[in-house]
Amino acid sequence: MTDASSPTAFQRLWLSETIRLREEHAGPLEDTEANRLARAEHSELVERIQHRALLLARRDGQWQALQHWLQGARLAGLLLTLLALLSGIGLALAALGDGRQPVNVFWALGSLLGLNLLMLVGWLLGLLLTRDHPGALGRLWLWLSEKLARDASAAQLGPALLLMLQRQRLTRWGLGLLVNGLWTLAMLAALSTLLLLLATRRYGFVWETTILGGDTFIALTQAIGALPALFGFSLPDVELIRASGDAAIASEAARQSWAGWLVGVVLIYGLLPRLLLALLCLWRWQSGKGALSLDLDLPGYSLLRQRLQPDSERLGVCDLAPAALHQPQGGAHSQPGSGALLLGLELDDRRPWPPAPLPKGVANAGVIDNREQRRQLLEQLTRFPPERLAIACDPRRSPDRGTLALLGELARSSSATRIWLLPPAPGEVLDSARLADWHQAITNLGLQHGDSAPLSWLETGHD
Amino acid sequence: MTEPLKLALVGHTNVGKTSLLRTLTRDVEFGEVSPRASTTRHVEGARLSVEGQALLELYDTPGLEDAIALFDYLERLDRPGERLDGPARLARFLEGSEARQRYEQEAKVLRQLMASDAGLYVIDVREPVLAKYRDELAVLTMCGRPLLPVLNFVASSQHREGEWREALARLGLHALVAFDSVAPPEDGERRLYESLALLLERSRPQLQRLIEDHEAQRRARRQAGNRLIAELLIDCAACRRSVAAQPVLEQGAISELRTAIRQREQRCVEALLRLYAFRSSDAKAADLPLLDGRWGDDLFNPETLKQLGIKVGGGMAAGAATGVGIDLLVGGLTMGAAAALGAVIGGSAQTLRNYGQRLKGKLKGQRELTVDDAVLRLLALRQQQLLAALDKRGHAAMDAISLGAPQETLWRQGRLPAPLNVARAHPEWSSLNPGARLEEAERAEQVERLRNDLSIQS
Repeated sequence: MTDASSPTAFQRLWLSETIRLREEHAGPLEDTEANRLARAEHSELVERIQHRALLLARRDGQWQALQHWLQGARLAGLLLTLLALLSGIGLALAALGDGRQPVNVFWALGSLLGLNLLMLVGWLLGLLLTRDHPGALGRLWLWLSEKLARDASAAQLGPALLLMLQRQRLTRWGLGLLVNGLWTLAMLAALSTLLLLLATRRYGFVWETTILGGDTFIALTQAIGALPALFGFSLPDVELIRASGDAAIASEAARQSWAGWLVGVVLIYGLLPRLLLALLCLWRWQSGKGALSLDLDLPGYSLLRQRLQPDSERLGVCDLAPAALHQPQGGAHSQPGSGALLLGLELDDRRPWPPAPLPKGVANAGVIDNREQRRQLLEQLTRFPPERLAIACDPRRSPDRGTLALLGELARSSSATRIWLLPPAPGEVLDSARLADWHQAITNLGLQHGDSAPLSWLETGHD
Repeated sequence: MTEPLKLALVGHTNVGKTSLLRTLTRDVEFGEVSPRASTTRHVEGARLSVEGQALLELYDTPGLEDAIALFDYLERLDRPGERLDGPARLARFLEGSEARQRYEQEAKVLRQLMASDAGLYVIDVREPVLAKYRDELAVLTMCGRPLLPVLNFVASSQHREGEWREALARLGLHALVAFDSVAPPEDGERRLYESLALLLERSRPQLQRLIEDHEAQRRARRQAGNRLIAELLIDCAACRRSVAAQPVLEQGAISELRTAIRQREQRCVEALLRLYAFRSSDAKAADLPLLDGRWGDDLFNPETLKQLGIKVGGGMAAGAATGVGIDLLVGGLTMGAAAALGAVIGGSAQTLRNYGQRLKGKLKGQRELTVDDAVLRLLALRQQQLLAALDKRGHAAMDAISLGAPQETLWRQGRLPAPLNVARAHPEWSSLNPGARLEEAERAEQVERLRNDLSIQS
C-alpha cells in the first residue's frame, strides 16, 4: 500500500509531469510557498522540481486524484485477476466435461489453447504493427482518461502518464505485462483445475474424424507431444492412439498416458509462452521504469530552473551610496591677472593642437594630461594668473569628478574662465545625454561654456 | 565546500562595469545603467552558482573618477623616512578622513578590491589611453590583488584596442580579455574565466566547472528554443479555417487567420525572450508580408488518407492487443469489452467524424484556408534568426531586436520539413484550432523531429 504522505519515485515523476502539463495549459501556478519549501528541503534541481510538484499537487487535488486513480486501478486489477482465475477454471471444466462422456482430445485441446494462441498471435501482431506508431495504445488511453476525468485539475493525469511512459516506449510493455500476466494466471488456474479433475475423476479419451485418416491424427498427436515429451511428459504410442480412435480405452495405462500428454501440452504451449512473455515484459518494464527521469530540456522545466535553482542571484548592496557626492567648486581669482591663455584638457592625441592658429597675444599652454603637467601648469598659473583662460574639453569623455575638480582649480587661478566643448571630429556624433551631463556639470561649477572657439574673447575680452 | 571566488569589477566611471555584470549574471535588471557619469554609487554583489553551489561572487563598484589626485595624495601619505608598500599605504588612506570625504567613492572601490580575490578592470576601448587611466591602474595595483583588464566595447568601430594592449603591457598587465558586454563573443565567457584561472591557479577547478555548466546551459537553451520554434511551426501548419465560398467572408477569414498567426508568433517571441531571460520588450516581430493564405483542401492529401488509415487500423490493432483479448477470454462481450471497443471506436470515430465534417463542408461549397508554405518558411527563418540573436546578445544590451522579413529568396521557395506536411493533416494539433489535442504523443514526436531538423540547420 502506498502511504499517503510518501509517493514512490514513479508517482513523483508522474505528478511532476502532470503539473508541468497543467502549467503549460493554464498558465503558471501561484508557487512562492512551494518554491521556498522545495529550495529549503532539497539541493538537487530534479528533487526540487519533484518536491514542488508534490506540494502543488497536494494543494490542488492532483495527488488525491492520483490516489483515487490508483485505487481504481488496483480494484480493476483485482477484478481482472479474479476473472482470469474463474475463466481458467471454466476453461478446464468446459474442456473435460463431467466425465460421463469420453473426452474428445482435440476438442479439449482446442478449447484450452485455441483462444489463448489466437490472442497471442494478435498481441504479437499488435506489437509489431504498432512499432512505428506507439501512439495507438496511447490514444485509447487518452480517450478513456478524458471520459473518466471528473474535474479539470485531474484532467492532465492521464496525458502526463502517457507522455512520460512514451518517452521510454513503456506503454506497450506495461500493457503487455498486464495481458500476459492475466493469461498466465488463467492458464495456471486451468492447469490446476485440469490436474484436480484428472486426479479425482475418471475420464476416457477419444478422437474422432469423418474425412481425415487415422494416420494424420497419429502424426499430429505425436508431433504436438514431442516437445512436452522432452520434459518428461508421457506420449501415447501409435497403438494406443489408433485404438483410441474407435472408443475410449478403459485401461489405466492408456488413461494416464493421454492425461499426461494433455497436461504437458497445456503446460508447454499454453502456460510457458505466456509466462516467458510476462517475464520479458516485466523485465522491460522494470528497466524502462528505472530509466525514467525528468527531461530538464523541456521549456517548462528550464523556466523552473530559474526559479528553483537560480544560476545567478543578487546579493544586495553591501556598501551604501553616500547621501551626496563630493562636489568640486568653481570660482575665480580675486586679483586681476594679465594675458590670455588657451589650454586643452585630456584631449585625444589624434586631434591637432591647437585646433586653429592662435591670435596674437593668446598663449598656448598645450594639452594637459598627466600629473606632472597638471602640477606644472597650476604652479605657473598661481605665479602669473591670466586674465582670460579658455579650456578646451572633449565632450566625448565623461565629465568625471577628477576633471571637474581640475577645472575648478584652474578657474580659481584665473580672472575669467570659459570652457570650450570641442565639436566632434568630422563623421562622428556626440552623445546628447553625455553632452547634457557636461553642461550640467560646468553650470554647477559656475563657469561659462560654449561649443565654438572662444578665440576672439581670448584676444579682446568680449565676443 | 569551497568558498566562492570573489571578484570586484573596477574601472573608470561610465566604462560599463554594471553592464558587464549584467551580462555575466544574465540579469537584465541588475543595478542601474545610464550614459551619465557616476550612475553606480554603491557596491552591489551577485552570485553565480552551479547546481546550488555558489562558485563566484561578483561585486559592482562605483567608478573611479579622481585617480590622478588620489595617487598624488597617496604618495604624500608616507611619513619622512618611511617607505610603505601598496596595501599598507592604502590601509593608512582608508583610516584617514579624506577616505570619507573627497575620495569617498574611490575608498569604496579600494576596500572592495582588497576584500576580493581579484579584480576585473573594465576598459572602454573607445577612449584614448589617458594619464588618468594609468594612475587608476597604479592605485588599483596597490591593493595587491591580481587584476584582469577586460576590454569592453571592442565591437565598436572606433575602438583603440591596439593602443590599450600596448599601454597595459607597459604596465605589466599582459593577460587581458576582450569582452563586449553588449555583443559578447561566442567563447567570451570561457576566455574570461580561463584568463582568470591563469591568475588564480587555486580557483581553476571551480572556474572550470562554471565554464562547463554555462556551456551546457547554453546548449540546453538552444535546444529548448528550437523546441519552441517547432511548436510554433506545427501550430501554424495545422491551423485550418473553413469558410463559405463568398469573397467577403474569404477576405474576413484571411485577415482573421493572419491576426491569429501574428499573435501566435508573438507568443513564441515572448517565450524565447523568457527562456533567454530578457525583457518582453526586447524584441518585436514586424508584420508578416501580406499573403493570401493557402486555399485548397488536404482532404485527399496522401498524408490525410494515410493518417486516416493508420488511425482506424491502429486503433483496431491497439484494441486487439489489449482489452479485447482479455474480455473475449472471459467469454463474451462483458461490460469491459464494450468499454474497450468503445474506446477504439471512439478514438477512430473522432478522426472519421472530423474527416466527415470536412467532406460535408466541401460538398456544401466551403473552402478550407490554411497557412501558406511561404509563411511557414518565413516564420521558421525569422524565429531562428531571433534565437541566434538572443544566443549572442549580452544582457547589457538596451536596444530592442526588431524582426524584419529576411531576404525573400530565402523563404519564397524550398521544401517544407516533413513534420510540417504531416501536421497539415492534423487540425487537432494546432492550438489555434478549436478542440485541439496538444498532448498527443504523435504530435510530440513530430515536434521532436522538427526540433532536430531545426537544430541541424542552425
